Amino acid sequence: MSHLGLSTAVPRARSRGSIEISIGGSLLSAWLFLAIFGPSILGVDPNQIDLVAILQPPHADHWLGTDQLGRDALARILMGARIDILMSVLGVLPPLIIGVVVGLVSGYFGGWIDSILMRLVDITVAFPFLVLVIAIVGMLGPGLDNFFVALALVGWVSYARLIRARGLVLREAEFIQAARGLGYPPLYILFRHVMPKALSPIAVYAMSDAVMVMLAGASLGFVGLGVQPPTPEWGVMIADGQPFVTMGWWICLFPGMAAASLGLGFLLLSDGLAGRLGVRK
Amino acid sequence: MSTSTVAPLVSIRNLSVDIVAAGSAVPAVRNVSFDIMPGDILGIVGESGSGKSVTCRAVLGLLPAAARLSGQILFQGKDLATMAESEMEKIRGRDISMIFQNPSSHLDPIMKIGAQIGEPLRQHQGISASKARAAGIRVLEDVRIAEPERRIDSYPHQLSGGMKQRAMIAAAISCGARLLLADEPTTALDVTVQARILELLKGLKESRQLSIVLVSHDLGVIAQLCNRIMVMRRGEIVEQGETSTIVADPQHEYTRLLIASQPGRRQPAVRSTATHAAPILLAVRNLVVSFPRPAGIRETLTRSDRTFRAVDEVSFEVRSGESLAIVGESGSGKSTIARSIIGLIRPSGGTLHCDGQDVTALTGDALRRFRRSAQMIFQSPYDSLNPRLAVGEAIAEPMIQHGLMTPKAARHRVGELMEMVELSPDLARRRPHELSGGQCQRIGIARALALSPRLLIADEITSALDVTIQAQILDLLRRLRDSQRLTMIYVSHDLAVVRTFCDRVAVMKGGRIVEMGEVSDVLGQPKEAYTQELLASVPKLFGADPVPVEPQHA
Amino acid sequence: MSRIPAIGLRLVQLLPVLIGITIVTFLLVKLSPGDPVRLMLGDRATEETVAAVRAQLGFDLPLWKQYLSYAGNLLQGDLGQSIRYRLPVLDLILGVMPRTLFLATYVLVLSIPATVILSVVAARHAGKPVDQIIRILSVIGMTIPVFWLGIMLARFLGVELGLFPVSGYGDGFIDHLHHLFLPALSTSVWLVPMLVRNLRASILEQMEADYVVASRAKGLPARYIFGRHILPNSLLPTLNLLGVMIAFLIGGSVIVEIVYAVPGLGGLMIEAVLARDYTVIQGLTLFYALGTVIVTLSVDLISTWIDPRVQL
Repeated sequence: MSHLGLSTAVPRARSRGSIEISIGGSLLSAWLFLAIFGPSILGVDPNQIDLVAILQPPHADHWLGTDQLGRDALARILMGARIDILMSVLGVLPPLIIGVVVGLVSGYFGGWIDSILMRLVDITVAFPFLVLVIAIVGMLGPGLDNFFVALALVGWVSYARLIRARGLVLREAEFIQAARGLGYPPLYILFRHVMPKALSPIAVYAMSDAVMVMLAGASLGFVGLGVQPPTPEWGVMIADGQPFVTMGWWICLFPGMAAASLGLGFLLLSDGLAGRLGVRK
Repeated sequence: MSTSTVAPLVSIRNLSVDIVAAGSAVPAVRNVSFDIMPGDILGIVGESGSGKSVTCRAVLGLLPAAARLSGQILFQGKDLATMAESEMEKIRGRDISMIFQNPSSHLDPIMKIGAQIGEPLRQHQGISASKARAAGIRVLEDVRIAEPERRIDSYPHQLSGGMKQRAMIAAAISCGARLLLADEPTTALDVTVQARILELLKGLKESRQLSIVLVSHDLGVIAQLCNRIMVMRRGEIVEQGETSTIVADPQHEYTRLLIASQPGRRQPAVRSTATHAAPILLAVRNLVVSFPRPAGIRETLTRSDRTFRAVDEVSFEVRSGESLAIVGESGSGKSTIARSIIGLIRPSGGTLHCDGQDVTALTGDALRRFRRSAQMIFQSPYDSLNPRLAVGEAIAEPMIQHGLMTPKAARHRVGELMEMVELSPDLARRRPHELSGGQCQRIGIARALALSPRLLIADEITSALDVTIQAQILDLLRRLRDSQRLTMIYVSHDLAVVRTFCDRVAVMKGGRIVEMGEVSDVLGQPKEAYTQELLASVPKLFGADPVPVEPQHA
Repeated sequence: MSRIPAIGLRLVQLLPVLIGITIVTFLLVKLSPGDPVRLMLGDRATEETVAAVRAQLGFDLPLWKQYLSYAGNLLQGDLGQSIRYRLPVLDLILGVMPRTLFLATYVLVLSIPATVILSVVAARHAGKPVDQIIRILSVIGMTIPVFWLGIMLARFLGVELGLFPVSGYGDGFIDHLHHLFLPALSTSVWLVPMLVRNLRASILEQMEADYVVASRAKGLPARYIFGRHILPNSLLPTLNLLGVMIAFLIGGSVIVEIVYAVPGLGGLMIEAVLARDYTVIQGLTLFYALGTVIVTLSVDLISTWIDPRVQL
């Protein structure tokens, strides 16, 4: 209702998304702190087998209990945080970089380069994300490195599409037309005027993509195609615990909660950034 | 207020509306009282933020949730201001209805026109869908839509802007409302379409004994249609009375400013410098610009030509120091020509010689260098500036990018340029959203002048601005044109502005120039039928030729 | 107006994508570091036998010839032989596919009404406690690992309370519904939040649209405006998201089927991956991709039906 002339009377909400950003930010910083310092503060070997103390419920010696080999669950979760955080960050970056470059090249040069790259995008999105990742990992062999390769091959598509669409809108924006009319060099316009505006939705998407990547990584770990035991990845821990889940409520509970809360941190930060930067998801 | 003994249809007493945001209340309408008489066409005129639309919506209780209303709105002995929503629903669309500015967004895009017209009938009279359809066809006839039996099954996107507005009017009057509130009903429309819609409203007033409240920023539109005028500013009524009295003898200072700012009331350009002998700066020969037709699969299957010509074999010249106007309605191709001249759009045929260079042959660095001699100011003051850049940076950027100045020297020059466009250099650090529309447009002008161009193209630069600001910007441009010896191309839909600002005019329609010549000839004795229709459509304050008034320096 | 030619042309336009998909599935096998023939024949086979079988299968031909014969086989419905089961891949896939389709449909039947109800409630009470609770739950729902939720639900609702079976597929329709309830529920818990977030935002946006004010000005009641104008206009973006999500859902079902030991496509997929049964992986990947293409096409068709402005 802008033509009511009310828009000027309503002050811009500066605090948009700040609750999400602070909660999400705190969750992420807390996990980062725990991942870096947690294992040494606790000082318990996450792979120390203790067959006398298997499947113990949480108590003073083992705050989160022990698993079927008597390993301390807390120590394993803290060590697992390193893997899962690394997984979500390293899993997002290569697709992001490839996608942004492809999207910019495609949108900027247009023509047949654009047609070819976009057909490639069409073909890639025809495969369900997780299926293609599993198939590629299946072919290359299980493991974290192959998971990253699969992600890079599949995940760039969303970023390329996003930045290309954004670029197409911005190209027609009057201030970009003005910049062209003023005779600025094309690359200068691209980096000074187009990029900063095109990157905010990318940042927002990357945060929620991190959730997806972490969940995919944990899922692969769960079915035995990701991180290999005995490395304490959360998905692997859940898979290890599944046969014993009827013997105690705590066995699979904590790694799942860890994964959910880390994901929550990323997602809230993404939501908050979206509100702050005025990006529609 | 009326002295007759007829009771008013609606009486508004001490109406105030506050908009509550972030804990504080901002007044939008302050203590307004007026009557709407039966058979009235009451015009409410004002600039943005005057509260005219808010007043209009308050009558039907259509204010946003953040609005707080006080005062009385009396209709048939009841106070609409305090009426329950369920009661209000019975009045809306049956007794009082409303039409809006942008017909495209005010119609549901995925529902057929017929259903949208039938809705109020079915709601208020409880009639069946088939009866509502038959009634809908009759109303479409009343608003003079051709082939109503076919159009009733159209979706909004299949209709032109004018037809959509007619459809919205049809829905509003279908239940025999006695009062029609029209909120800027013609602002989004072309001037010839506007004339026809205003004609229609006048006709409906007679045939249906309708009273109308017409809200507009355009005093010309109001004066043409209304018997009474109410002038609003900053939420208050500054003056109201009979149209002829207000226009001929305005009492309030603001009303006088408003009338003086009407482009048609400005002094025509009296330009002593004869430009006929000056060298040709821009020569356009057989210019053709084609765009790919936006086509879905159906078009691909059925159409052989995949492009349409936005500009079709256009030729003209501009001499040094001259101001040429290119006028036309939306889709006439006028902006496309402007963008072609500075190389933003590549023509598909013809030549464009500017300042001795063939622009169509320029690429890369040569094209960039050419842009030092031809610059453009854009329509939307806010959108044409990068929101993240301080306006001072925006003005300095072209000088630095063209290597004309060091960043330090450019900063100094920014101050000079800002003074040139009559802005305080202190504003240089602000971002666009911290400035008013008029201020941003001045920044746009300063930025264009930073490269000291010989040719300045102004593309609808005042259409987003209030009329008093528009007058100021035009005065500024006039002074700059003289002091900087600028050659100008002024692209506009507004004939009144063109008449007072330019030396020559080209009238465009459908990508072609239909008539071109000296402003006084073309607008004085138009030869082409289209130019005549265009001129006849322009609303005039008295229905007479404008009286010259000294330009106001504001 | 006939849509048939438009649909036909759309199918023609799909051809490059379909060819692209087969190229990808073809190349997929070439990624593998091992020798599929050796894998097929086992360690005891002699080099000569391996070479003979290679030639027989055409593995010694240039890549493009191999692709052509692959594509030719596909056109005849031949997806190759499973290395592990020595059965045609197509038969294996078609044998278990109904279970996965049943699960996917089940998920949609649970999810779509829940999505619409939750979104409408949240949007109509935007900013109020109900809305906040729905928003928080939906954020959490999106971050919970589906397989973990599956295990937890199986433990508490299945084992503890004995309400539902925790594995298998059952016999007969009712038994299927009973067996697949927990898998469908765990998948919905993840799917519904995504859709709710989208639909809620979409409804809120449409509630601000100009035509809503215009409808109110006609005297239409709020409830009618919501049902007849706002909701239909809000559905379109969510429908497109649903198309994308179904593709995700198909992927997600792989994991859920493992958790609940549902013998569907997902189970087959993981089994094939762990056994390095390349032809089955290849065939399944192709099948999943075809499924996604069909879903996307249907969503586009439904979109033209809801919104007359959308063209195929």
